[in-house]
Amino acid sequence: MYLLFNYMGLSLMSIGYILLIAAIFIAGFIVVTYNSLIALIEAIRNNQKQIDIQLDRRFKVFESLINVVKKYMDYEQTTLKDVVALRNQAQQAKATGNEAARITAENKISDIASKINLVFEQYPQLKANENCMQLQEEIVTTENKLAYAKQALNDSIERYNANKKSFFTSMIVNLFQAKLNFDYPYWQLGEDKVAEQEKYTVKL
Amino acid sequence: MNQSIQTSVDWRKSLTLNNRKTMLVISVFFLIYFSIGMLVDLYIYSGQYPQVPWPQLFTALISFKLFPLVTLVMLSIAAISLLVTFAFHDKLMLLGTEYHEITPTTAQSNQEKQLYNIIEELKIAAGLQFMPKVYIIDANYMNAFASGYSEKSAMVAITRGLIEKLNRNELQAVMAHELSHIRHMDIKLTLMASVLANLMIMVLDMFFYSAIFGSSRSSEDNRSRNALATIIIIVRYVLPVINILLLLYLSRTREYMADAGSVELLRDNQGLASALLKINDDHAENQASYSAAYQQTPHENVRREAYIYDPLQAGIEPMSSLADIFSTHPNLKDRLAAIGYVLKNE
Repeated sequence: MYLLFNYMGLSLMSIGYILLIAAIFIAGFIVVTYNSLIALIEAIRNNQKQIDIQLDRRFKVFESLINVVKKYMDYEQTTLKDVVALRNQAQQAKATGNEAARITAENKISDIASKINLVFEQYPQLKANENCMQLQEEIVTTENKLAYAKQALNDSIERYNANKKSFFTSMIVNLFQAKLNFDYPYWQLGEDKVAEQEKYTVKL
Repeated sequence: MNQSIQTSVDWRKSLTLNNRKTMLVISVFFLIYFSIGMLVDLYIYSGQYPQVPWPQLFTALISFKLFPLVTLVMLSIAAISLLVTFAFHDKLMLLGTEYHEITPTTAQSNQEKQLYNIIEELKIAAGLQFMPKVYIIDANYMNAFASGYSEKSAMVAITRGLIEKLNRNELQAVMAHELSHIRHMDIKLTLMASVLANLMIMVLDMFFYSAIFGSSRSSEDNRSRNALATIIIIVRYVLPVINILLLLYLSRTREYMADAGSVELLRDNQGLASALLKINDDHAENQASYSAAYQQTPHENVRREAYIYDPLQAGIEPMSSLADIFSTHPNLKDRLAAIGYVLKNE
């Protein structure tokens, strides 16, 4: 081997340099990849917390909204109790780390929100009311914020997963399994829930 | 749809590119100021030392053997205008308009509250760290722009006409377009290019007129001085061209990228398409009155490159300058095609 390099006109010294440069290059690549993956993971964590923030906000907004709505219409008293119960379910699930149970509970609160909006649609004179328009806007923006928070979480998970699984990067992930390899579930509906939603039509 | 996916993957690349371009724009800006100052210095010193050739004067000035006063003044003007741009970027971009800021507590109507809500929603969708400042411009024409030099300093401004004539969905699409500009850091580049470029012309005009009408000591008549005076006059006419080139350096794809970004955030192209069509039709319908409104608003050329819709497309010339010929906005048909809409009746 040495003779071969010698023949090619490379001294042992210059081979050393080449190896050194290659080593520096590889080390640099590892550091850059490692750091970018950490950034992606933290983005996911931040987006998870963003959903928490929005859920919390929604709970507070709805609680006060339903209280206001009660004055305008004989809307079932139970709705507020439902929201509170679902909220408790969601928080329990969160505490025990049961992500799936939490997602179902939160999705049920979303259903209640769309029902409130539907009630507005049914009463034209109510719809024209300034206060109710404000309430409706509040519901729409609250639900939008939550939906966008979920979307942002899924986007960040997608970015991380695509990065993690791509070639070269996956080799580095293998080196630092504990620090870099996580499996984040996408925010999604269960299969039965999807089937139910598909069949759903607005009945007026 | 294909295209929007393509570009949405690329926006991080355009972010770094925009940052690099901004640095270049600032350096070119300093270089131009330096050159102007140097020319004036040469002009002055060639009057004092008529026998010395220019290259020698230049090296003397560079090595501080002669004190390059005007060059230093020009460089400090450049630095000050850069600082001014950073400090008053929102005021500068809103210059000449009647505007007010809205916050959750100061929103005067449901409409304003809704606008603020929409921007808050999209801030979450885009994953921005800071809520941009929201300004409403009291004008009937429909337009909007975003500006700032960082996410923290970012702002969006929307005309009253836009809020009144668009529905929630369309307004959302337009705001998603503006927040995409913030996310892609187009705002920094457009801010630097339009504000610095326009300040440059103002400053140059001062020197230009003083060179022509100022007290010229005509007794020391010599050829090299005359030549330098000619240079300054030439520069006065060449600079606007450089200015245009600087603006052309703004990415020609940035509007497409922001449109694609809007579709990416909303996962829906309908709102943006109908908003763009509404804005275009509205401009065509009220051409005469909008034309007057744009022209009566001073400093409209500062905002031109930042607007979502270039009024020129509806045949409205917002300001009469050479820059009108060069628009970095793609036309409406191409923009709609890029987000998946082909106009039928054309």
